[in-house]
Amino acid sequence: MAVERKLFLYAGIITVLLFVMIYSLNVFLSREREDSLSTRMDSLIDDFEEMQALFLMSGIFDTNGTCIALQTWMSQMDKSLWDLGIKLDQYQKVTEEYLKDPFYLEQKKKFNRRQVIYYSILKEAKDRCSLNATSLLFFYRKSEECPDCDAMSFVLTDLKREVNEEVAIFSFDTNLDLPSIQVLPVFFNVTSYPCIVVEGKTHCGLYNKNELTKFVCDAGQLSICS
Amino acid sequence: MDLVYTLFMVAVWFLSTFFTISFLLHVIKHRDRLSESREFDFSKQARRVSIVIPAFNEEERLGQTLASLEMLDYPKDLYEVIVVNDGSSDGTARVAAQYADGRHVILIDNQENKGKAASLNDGIERATGEFIACMDADSQPRPDVLKKTLPYFSNKAVGAVTVTVKVQSAKSLLHKLVDLEYIIGLSLFLKVMSLFDCVIVTPGPFSIYRADLLRKLGGFDRQNIVEDMEIAYRIHREGFRIEHSMDTHVSTYIPQTFGALYTQRKRWYSGALLTFWQHKGTLLRHDMGLFRYFIPYQYGLILLGVALFLYTGFLWFRNAFTQLSYYALTNFNFFSQFKFDFDVLGISIFSFFGVTAILLTVLFVSIGLKVTNHSRKKMAFGVFGYIALYFLYQFFWISSLGLILLRRRPRWR
Repeated sequence: MAVERKLFLYAGIITVLLFVMIYSLNVFLSREREDSLSTRMDSLIDDFEEMQALFLMSGIFDTNGTCIALQTWMSQMDKSLWDLGIKLDQYQKVTEEYLKDPFYLEQKKKFNRRQVIYYSILKEAKDRCSLNATSLLFFYRKSEECPDCDAMSFVLTDLKREVNEEVAIFSFDTNLDLPSIQVLPVFFNVTSYPCIVVEGKTHCGLYNKNELTKFVCDAGQLSICS
Repeated sequence: MDLVYTLFMVAVWFLSTFFTISFLLHVIKHRDRLSESREFDFSKQARRVSIVIPAFNEEERLGQTLASLEMLDYPKDLYEVIVVNDGSSDGTARVAAQYADGRHVILIDNQENKGKAASLNDGIERATGEFIACMDADSQPRPDVLKKTLPYFSNKAVGAVTVTVKVQSAKSLLHKLVDLEYIIGLSLFLKVMSLFDCVIVTPGPFSIYRADLLRKLGGFDRQNIVEDMEIAYRIHREGFRIEHSMDTHVSTYIPQTFGALYTQRKRWYSGALLTFWQHKGTLLRHDMGLFRYFIPYQYGLILLGVALFLYTGFLWFRNAFTQLSYYALTNFNFFSQFKFDFDVLGISIFSFFGVTAILLTVLFVSIGLKVTNHSRKKMAFGVFGYIALYFLYQFFWISSLGLILLRRRPRWR
């Protein structure tokens, strides 16, 4: 029987079509990921504007009323910011399995900028409104330059699940070329990575959860400390 | 995830998907031909047949095999059975002697263990038939095996005919898995490969050849450990086809323990690769048809698949070790990181490759079992069984490659 070239040709066409389908589906999902992140980021920026407005108002109008509103707003912001950070990492990881996408770099920059603003407002609001929030800053670099940074991030995620809004955790990617991010490590005397700063006290190196809990408990009264 | 891994993944996906789809298209298009029964015309196709059985320490099963040959639906004066005792240390010669009459059943009682190929050659030398069936001493063909296979030789281009190999009494899970492999691999696969003229093996349990072709080829290669595969290359090289008959079968015993199966597969797979290397020159010839492309394609796909499996395993273990070291930092608080958050946007492109591969396997097994008239119950087992077989195969192939790389000679037993 002569070799049926047609059947092989059909098989080749079906294989290529399947590949194109997978690729197209992936392109579609990739766009959806970007749209989803952009929407979340836009919503976060709106929330930030509201928070900034409340913060400015707290210095001008009746401090007590605006401070209560600011505190409530910041508590919500803390969760939105944390969730967005996790989604950003998740989507970036999935996308960068096969290509580097500049979109994520831009989003990371935006995200880190928001964190700097949020941290600055929180610091000011603590004095102005006597907020009882502990802040923890986490400085990291990409894993090729900082092998322990992923492990530290893992421990912080674990801690965050337990402390919720009692501790505001900020993760700063120092590989990003942002002046606001570059200033912070110098200010807090960050000498190596990973490095955490708990209420102004700098601890560089990899720490386990017990050590980390001790740092935050030394800095403030939290429910996990009792 | 790096570029090398991505390329590996895409290459294996492309090659395996193309192969599976080609296979399925041929099965669908030729479904009526797969189990076709060729009518045996006694006046034209009845020829003398010699059945050669090499036997090494087969005391236990040889009697059953010889009894099954007594039951062949074929004139007694038109076939002879030649048992070649290959220096057995048990009672093989005694069992054969009980059947041997020097005319219909002949015993060649070699005192020295010369190996299977050499024993087959001794039998071929003594054979008087126009066709020679070579079979294992622990295999029992169906009574109609000669009537079903001889009609294929009406085509002068057919040099050999293989038949479906079935597992004798598959009771344990391991045996059921091998049974499944045989249903697809030593039945449907061979049939479809015969449509491409790409049959790469004339299985030892039962295959029938033109006697003059076997003699022209000088018999089986004594140095080769997979002589039934090696001869297939030379049959193709001589310009002959190998056909496969799915409407009759031979039942055979398979290794009883995992260890024995492991030893057998190491011999098969390393032998297959060494034979491929031995005949690499043959594959460069332009008159080899699709065979010259199919063989490198098949082994290329297998080797790439093994490399991908090893690399994926390495990445998986490395990741598992990393995660464990992270958990050590959180007092092994395994539940704290767990949060059910199914997000369709978090699905990676590699998952789609994996899903299509699994779906094609399901389709492949379902269609395979359907056209070979197996039950739905078997289909459910078949899908899971094939996935289990995939891991088993990887293990066998890795061991076989290790043998070759270490330049160690595979053992028969």
